[in-house]
Amino acid sequence: MLSVKGLKANVGDKEILKGLDLEVGPGEVHAIMGPNGSGKSTFAHVLSGREGYEVTGGSVSFEGQDLLELEPEERAQHGLFLAFQYPVELPGVNNTYFLKAALNSIKKSRGEPELDAISFLRLMKEKLKVLHLDDSLLKRPVNFGFSGGEKKRNEIFQMALLEPKLAILDETDSGLDIDALRIVADGVNALRSPERSMIVVTHYQRLLDYIQPDYVHVLARGRIIRSGGKDLALQLEERGYGWITGEEEAA
Amino acid sequence: MSGEGLDRWLETPSAEDASGLDWLATKREAARARVRDQGIPTSKQEAWRYTSVKRLIEQGFVPADEPMTALQPEDIEEVLIPGLESHRVVLVNGRYLPELSDLGELPPGVRIGGLKQILKSDPDALRERLNGVAGEEQPLFAALNTARMDDGLVILLERGAVLSQPVELVHLSVGMDEPRVAQPRHIVALEDGAQATLIERYVSLGQSLYCTNSVLEVSVGRDGALKHQRVQNESPNAFHITGLYLGLGEGSRYLGVNVGLGGAWARTDLQVQFTGEHAKCDLQGLYLAGDQQLLDYHLDVDHRLPHCTSRENFKGILYGKGRAVFDGRVYVAKDAQKTDAAMSNRNLLLSEGAEVDTKPQLEINADDVKCSHGTTVGQLAPEMLFYLRSRGIKAPLARRMLCLGFAGEILDVLEPEPLRERVADQVGHRLEHAPLA
Repeated sequence: MLSVKGLKANVGDKEILKGLDLEVGPGEVHAIMGPNGSGKSTFAHVLSGREGYEVTGGSVSFEGQDLLELEPEERAQHGLFLAFQYPVELPGVNNTYFLKAALNSIKKSRGEPELDAISFLRLMKEKLKVLHLDDSLLKRPVNFGFSGGEKKRNEIFQMALLEPKLAILDETDSGLDIDALRIVADGVNALRSPERSMIVVTHYQRLLDYIQPDYVHVLARGRIIRSGGKDLALQLEERGYGWITGEEEAA
Repeated sequence: MSGEGLDRWLETPSAEDASGLDWLATKREAARARVRDQGIPTSKQEAWRYTSVKRLIEQGFVPADEPMTALQPEDIEEVLIPGLESHRVVLVNGRYLPELSDLGELPPGVRIGGLKQILKSDPDALRERLNGVAGEEQPLFAALNTARMDDGLVILLERGAVLSQPVELVHLSVGMDEPRVAQPRHIVALEDGAQATLIERYVSLGQSLYCTNSVLEVSVGRDGALKHQRVQNESPNAFHITGLYLGLGEGSRYLGVNVGLGGAWARTDLQVQFTGEHAKCDLQGLYLAGDQQLLDYHLDVDHRLPHCTSRENFKGILYGKGRAVFDGRVYVAKDAQKTDAAMSNRNLLLSEGAEVDTKPQLEINADDVKCSHGTTVGQLAPEMLFYLRSRGIKAPLARRMLCLGFAGEILDVLEPEPLRERVADQVGHRLEHAPLA
């Protein structure tokens, strides 16, 4: 599904990723943990094609395709999805209109028929239930004036609608209270399937109580320095990152 | 000195215009004198600092005098909005054409008709109204209009009259062999407590070269209310000038929406005077200027009386080599305490060649007031674009969605829905064919 080999990337003049390797198979859930500044978010952004990150080495292959050659929209059309740590507010852009444009853009790129307004509404209603989202959110501008929890749920809602093959969740737990976290995690779990892989980027083990990963990787100084099962996350919770990274973890 | 180059705009009206009204002849003569005294504006004048009239003068426009009687209802179908129910008045090249209009049934106390018609049948109804809001001290183009107007729309609502359906003015321009200037004069007068909605649309058949020099005098009486929605969608080669004069009585409410989409060169002067306390004036605006387009707005809001509220919220989208000017002035006199005024002008520049000159000014002489102004000029935010693209939406559509989102705040004020939808479609269509990057 996804094969990352020796990935190096800069932000400005600074090298953030320094040779990152990762293999994700179909249906697998991988957690990437690491202290602040380790490169977790940079990795998520590089995969999604955000501007401002310069790839200086290595390769990323997604379903046999060179991911790094693709525009951000092409990556999405091929089945990649990034749930943003800070979802962007789009004043004036209606949420329903946005979701329909996104879904139909993806369908069109795959040569599938676009959904008409009625089938689209039906599909939305169905997906809303999964996330316990109030349908008033659909009438509002995208993320505009949403609470932190609403924004994150709107991300997972988009994921439910677009049905990606690979979803990257960038610190989806940040800024959520325990109830909101549970709802978001339930939404994510409902979307787990043998065909859908996920990369869950997080600083804390907390999220992994709800979204149980198959693999846990520790990212530090731009490299994956330790991989293991979900026990690894528990050890990190207990002992902090210092025992692996050999550094004092920033408070 | 004389208004050389524009002299022909003043050529004697055709015989049928001779209404034989002395008072009208006097007003016209005074306006001619104003034209002669002022001459052609130069960039040294503050009001014309950013906009040259050279292009306009070079066209050598002559008055549009022949009535366009050859048009059939099916000819104008393309400019009508399906589903928009209105009392419709159609002017072609500045002239009222009853056979293309559809006034429908008017409630008691409401009169709608052509200026020329009413000058003939009931001149006294207009005697005090002509120049009643604009005054005699008119700037050049308004004075030209006063000197040379011979038709336009008249809406008169008696005390307490309420129009539930909007009045729709369709000003249609049709190209002639020679480039023509039409100078319609519109009078909208709402007496105390009267309420109406006016939709004013400037449209064309084809892409011809012409000029519209319109003047509107709008008065709203005590506790009256007018919603006034203007859509300037002239031909891409056209010149358009509007002088809009508002006189707002005690406790009255005026909501104006100004949408500027068309024209090669368009100038709008909006002048607001409060004639009573506790009046509210809300001016919303949206302009979209692309290659070869100049859209110029001048707002002049005069608070001479206390307890009045004014809002100006204009947004612009510029692309290609499009240019716009926003010159907004709010004046608060010494005695106009408790004035509440806020002005905002936000612009989105989609290309390096696009340009906007924005100049909001507050001149406050009272000490117990709430006044603010703000202006922004910026580009589409990269993080917004990326967010849309990360959801599979191609960059051109993503840009268009963000621009429409920016414009949405103003578009959403338009009503009824068929009007909003038509204008939103036109904005979307323009953006679709615009070189946005």
